[in-house]
Amino acid sequence: MADPYLRVEGLVKRFGPFTALGGVDLEVFPGEVHCLLGDNGAGKSTLIKTLAGVHEPTEGKIYIEGKSVEFRSPRDASDAGIGTVYQDLAINQLLSVTRNFFMGRELKGPLGTLRMDEMNKIAHDEMLKIGIDFSDPTQAVGTMSGGQRQTLAIARAIYFGAKVLILDEPTSALGQKQQMGVLKTIKKVRARGDIAIIFITHNEIHSRLVGDRFTFLALGQTIGAGTNAEIGDEEMRRLMSGGAEMGDLEQELAAI
Amino acid sequence: MADTNEAGRLKQETAVEKLLRRPEIGSFVVMLVIIVALAIASDGKSFNALGLKNNIAIIAQYGIIATGAAVLMIAGEFDLSIGSMIGFAGMAMSMMLKWGLPFGMGDATPITAFIVTLAMTLALGWLIGTVVVRSGLSSFIVTLAFLFFLRGVTEVSFRLINKSTQISGLPDYKEESWFANLLGGDVFGWFYDLWFMLGGNLNRRGEQWVEGFDARFLWWLVIAGVAYFVLSRTQIGNWIYATGDNKEAARANGVPVNRVKIGLFMFTAFCATMFAACQVFDTNTSDAAKGNLMELFAIAIAVVGGTLMTGGFGSVIGVVFGAITVGLVANAVFFIPAIDGAWFRVFLGGILLAAVFANERIRKRITGGI
Ligand SMILES: Nc1ncnc2c1ncn2[C@@H]1O[C@H](COP(=O)(O)OP(=O)(O)OP(=O)(O)O)[C@@H](O)[C@H]1O
Ligand SMILES: [Mg+2]
Repeated sequence: MADPYLRVEGLVKRFGPFTALGGVDLEVFPGEVHCLLGDNGAGKSTLIKTLAGVHEPTEGKIYIEGKSVEFRSPRDASDAGIGTVYQDLAINQLLSVTRNFFMGRELKGPLGTLRMDEMNKIAHDEMLKIGIDFSDPTQAVGTMSGGQRQTLAIARAIYFGAKVLILDEPTSALGQKQQMGVLKTIKKVRARGDIAIIFITHNEIHSRLVGDRFTFLALGQTIGAGTNAEIGDEEMRRLMSGGAEMGDLEQELAAI
Repeated sequence: MADTNEAGRLKQETAVEKLLRRPEIGSFVVMLVIIVALAIASDGKSFNALGLKNNIAIIAQYGIIATGAAVLMIAGEFDLSIGSMIGFAGMAMSMMLKWGLPFGMGDATPITAFIVTLAMTLALGWLIGTVVVRSGLSSFIVTLAFLFFLRGVTEVSFRLINKSTQISGLPDYKEESWFANLLGGDVFGWFYDLWFMLGGNLNRRGEQWVEGFDARFLWWLVIAGVAYFVLSRTQIGNWIYATGDNKEAARANGVPVNRVKIGLFMFTAFCATMFAACQVFDTNTSDAAKGNLMELFAIAIAVVGGTLMTGGFGSVIGVVFGAITVGLVANAVFFIPAIDGAWFRVFLGGILLAAVFANERIRKRITGGI
């Protein structure tokens, strides 16, 4: 098998006295979807924020293509090929699709002027590639649907050279049809073969549909990992609920 | 997504429809109404040669500081220290001209007085911006503090050094210094020359009446023009909008939001300094009370011009219309002596309220109604 593009070893993140991550390991491979699963508060968002350069790790190491890296800012991480689509999408509602697409990395002509026509065209084409034909890239993002916003954020990350695409609960706020749209987008990106995807979700079906490999977190620890084939349904449910036995939960519920 | 034929869902708009949906349209219509109403009510006097000059003089004053206030508001912050900054800058410049440069650097020329003053006001703007972004406090309260602080410093400095809170009777620097002339002299003389050649612009003796506009007209056009260009065409402009719209999103994408904000507090300080410099070199006087309440006019005009109080949206062109509207009404009493000057504030209050509601509607349309 190929080498992992990104490897995380013994990652610890403390917020003051609180240990959000207590030694997490993770390996992600190009052309694979790696599902990060775990209960609320397990530390999934904290983990990816550390990968994205928003938080500095307290301990532990991050390797990109085998080389140890340190991210001091989101810019460092994105330069290293980590593209993050946050839960809140990092989108400016009042600004146009194009301006959001190029936010922070605008194409400039002389005098710092924006090459607007060129940017409009690229934004339109890139979004078309992964599935939406957005005819008017000068339209404000506030008027787009949730699924379309996801696509914008994903297309943006890919265009700017993401080798690892991190998606934090991209389907959670969407309707059925749009959820499927996002899954299709994930599949399309996976099919390119050169991009590793980290997909955070609470949805078992979604992770089964697109996931190649799973990592389960609970209370800041890795409590299980494996490929889609290796992990059975029972096991999956047990790990997703933080290691508790489903049978126990059923009993607890029945007792109320 | 599922709906791949997204293109088909968008109605093609005609040029007129697009124009009517522009955010400046409201302030533009109000401006037209005011221009026509004023022309009729003043019997044309407000737009004769002198009327035009006097109206433009006040419009340009408002326009200069409203541009600064609007761009800062687009980035999501307020500056209540603009008025006091005007007073401070005017005091600093005129005192240097009268008493010499600080720290025994010798006599001041218009250029050195202006540059040293600008260095001080930009430093103050930097300080205000830094306090706001570092403390995370509301700019409303931080700049309110500077409103009092700077006005107080202005008065105290006047009394300590000058023994009086006014300076008058400075020499007319415009005569000798090209620089003073650039700030306080006349501009666009060709306009009035042409008007004279075409048979207008005559005084009672049949000579040419008005020579040119006040220089601040030019400065207003320059400041508004640059602000328009930067906001709509440059990377910095994109960053300004993004900072005011969703600061965290902008930051996550690598926009240096703190530097953007600090830079814009320095820009409002710059606008206040230009306001003061034009006044000092035009009249060769200064007064500790100069610029009083100007911060509120600046914000009101920005809002009338379509700038959102919540940041992220606004246009310099709208602010130009707003400045013209408010400037004309402020001056109306000179051309229509029968009316009570206080009606100006009644009008401003009314139009401000109407603008806030109109802006809110525009915001809802763009964000899909939340
Ligand atoms: N900046 C912070 N300061 C202090 N504690 C934090 C901070 N960020 C996260 N935490 C804590 O770390 C823990 C993990 O949070 P995190 O957001 O990573 O969970 P999550 O797995 O993403 O949960 P969810 O599924 O609800 O999104 C939580 O208990 C949270 O309160
Ligand atoms: Mg989370």
